[in-house]
Amino acid sequence: MSLPSTALSIAGLRKSFGSNEVLRGIDLVAKDGDVISLIGASGSGKSTLLRCIPMLEIPDVGTVSVGEDSLSPTGGRLSRAQLAVARQMRGHLGFVFQNFNLWPHRTVLQNVIEAPLFVQSRPRAEAVEEATALLEKVGLAEKRDAWPAHLSGGQQQRVAIARALAQRPRAILFDEPTSALDPELVGEVLKVIRALAAEGRTMLIVTHEMGFAREVSSRVVFLHQGLIEEAGTPGQVFGNPASERCRAFLSGHFDRNR
Amino acid sequence: MQADLTLLGLGPDGWGLALARAGLMTLYVSVAAFLSGLAFGTLIAWARVAGNWPLRKLAEAYATVFRGVPDILVIYLFYFGGRQVVTAIGTALGLSGPFDISGFLAGVLAIGLISAANQSEVLRGAYQAVPRGTIEAGRVVGMTRLILFRRVIAPQALVTAIPGMGNQWQSVIKESALVSVTGLVETMRQVAVAAGTTQEHFLFYAAGAIIYLIITTLSDHVFRLAERRSLRGHEQGGL
Ligand SMILES: Nc1ncnc2c1ncn2[C@@H]1O[C@H](COP(=O)(O)OP(=O)(O)O)[C@@H](O)[C@H]1O
Ligand SMILES: [Mg+2]
Repeated sequence: MSLPSTALSIAGLRKSFGSNEVLRGIDLVAKDGDVISLIGASGSGKSTLLRCIPMLEIPDVGTVSVGEDSLSPTGGRLSRAQLAVARQMRGHLGFVFQNFNLWPHRTVLQNVIEAPLFVQSRPRAEAVEEATALLEKVGLAEKRDAWPAHLSGGQQQRVAIARALAQRPRAILFDEPTSALDPELVGEVLKVIRALAAEGRTMLIVTHEMGFAREVSSRVVFLHQGLIEEAGTPGQVFGNPASERCRAFLSGHFDRNR
Repeated sequence: MQADLTLLGLGPDGWGLALARAGLMTLYVSVAAFLSGLAFGTLIAWARVAGNWPLRKLAEAYATVFRGVPDILVIYLFYFGGRQVVTAIGTALGLSGPFDISGFLAGVLAIGLISAANQSEVLRGAYQAVPRGTIEAGRVVGMTRLILFRRVIAPQALVTAIPGMGNQWQSVIKESALVSVTGLVETMRQVAVAAGTTQEHFLFYAAGAIIYLIITTLSDHVFRLAERRSLRGHEQGGL
């Protein structure tokens, strides 16, 4: 059996907003099939790290690679040629936002086929067929002609996941996918992500759902003030963290959730 | 009053046909002015939103000037001022006069440029109302700027812009009356001539008001319809 190859890698990544140095040198690799949970206090840089991968934020220095494509921006900007590479990279990623960010002027199905049709230029019949299957997978086949505004938050987030899957992504990035949801809707979204993990999807998940992270992750990464403070298997990080800060963060969290 | 009404008819003494033609002219002037305003207003809005510093300042200055100067003055400037310029150029080229410029063109340009300043405000506001997250969602699937604009920004911004654009259209119709100073025979000019000729001032100015009301009411319906259609899927719209 061959070893899984690298789906996504981040090396020496730094990012400041003005004088606020948010990421201070991040190295992270996701092999195919890895499910990596990113945890850490609010403001520790989790979202910024995730957003640097598809260049929604442009790193000051560092290298981001997705599959064959690689970018090392300098000075916090992309040249024209780099932007083209960034678009290609985005085409191989799925991104799920905390606030879903569905396109409100398009139906559920239209949201899912939008990029396949207008970015990837796939044939319509093929895109619709694939989108229908994806909506089935997230349990929303019967909502295909509904408008996003008429769905619950949990349903909207599941559509957003189907939209991300329509990218045929090498890796899917989730930024607190359940944080904007009413508590009773969290479960249906976590269930979908769990199923994706079981399929062997490569995922990077920023989350505050510690129980969930422990259960689905192959690795857990704890971020503190723009640095990876602790990383390991869920058993290591949750069971016996080396870092005092990580320990404190976790105990605070589990106390709050009890 | 009874005899007066034949003055509005189509008979030999009636002004009916002339008024109908004048109403159409008002519509032509307004449509042409509104569309040139839309084209130019889009450019201004784009410069204000996406332009570099000098372009942005230029666009802002433009909006300030045209929103801050009386409309009638702009029309005078274009028509009488324009005629003067054309005459000067013609004379310099050794052509023999008299020189004139089209009241229609001068009027359309003047009102179009004024409207462009206002329409650019509406469009800019509509652009800024597009939720940032939906734009990020477009960027993150790999859309180019053009596709992002066409598929994500424009469709959402247009929905927001429709009511404001409806208002701009109504003001263009009303401002078109100012073009009468150039001698162009649109509604205002025609009713003034008819009122002067027949001395039936009340009748003809009332008829003029009705012509404007017909145009504005009908277009109001069109814009409402467009708004309702475009709101499908949005919270306010229902299915
Ligand atoms: N676009 C931005 N402009 C300026 N500061 C930002 C921006 N995005 C994030 N930050 C700052 O970066 C820090 C880390 O934010 P973030 O990555 O969102 O943390 P987390 O997701 O872990 O809560 C915070 O101090 C935040 O204020
Ligand atoms: Mg965050």
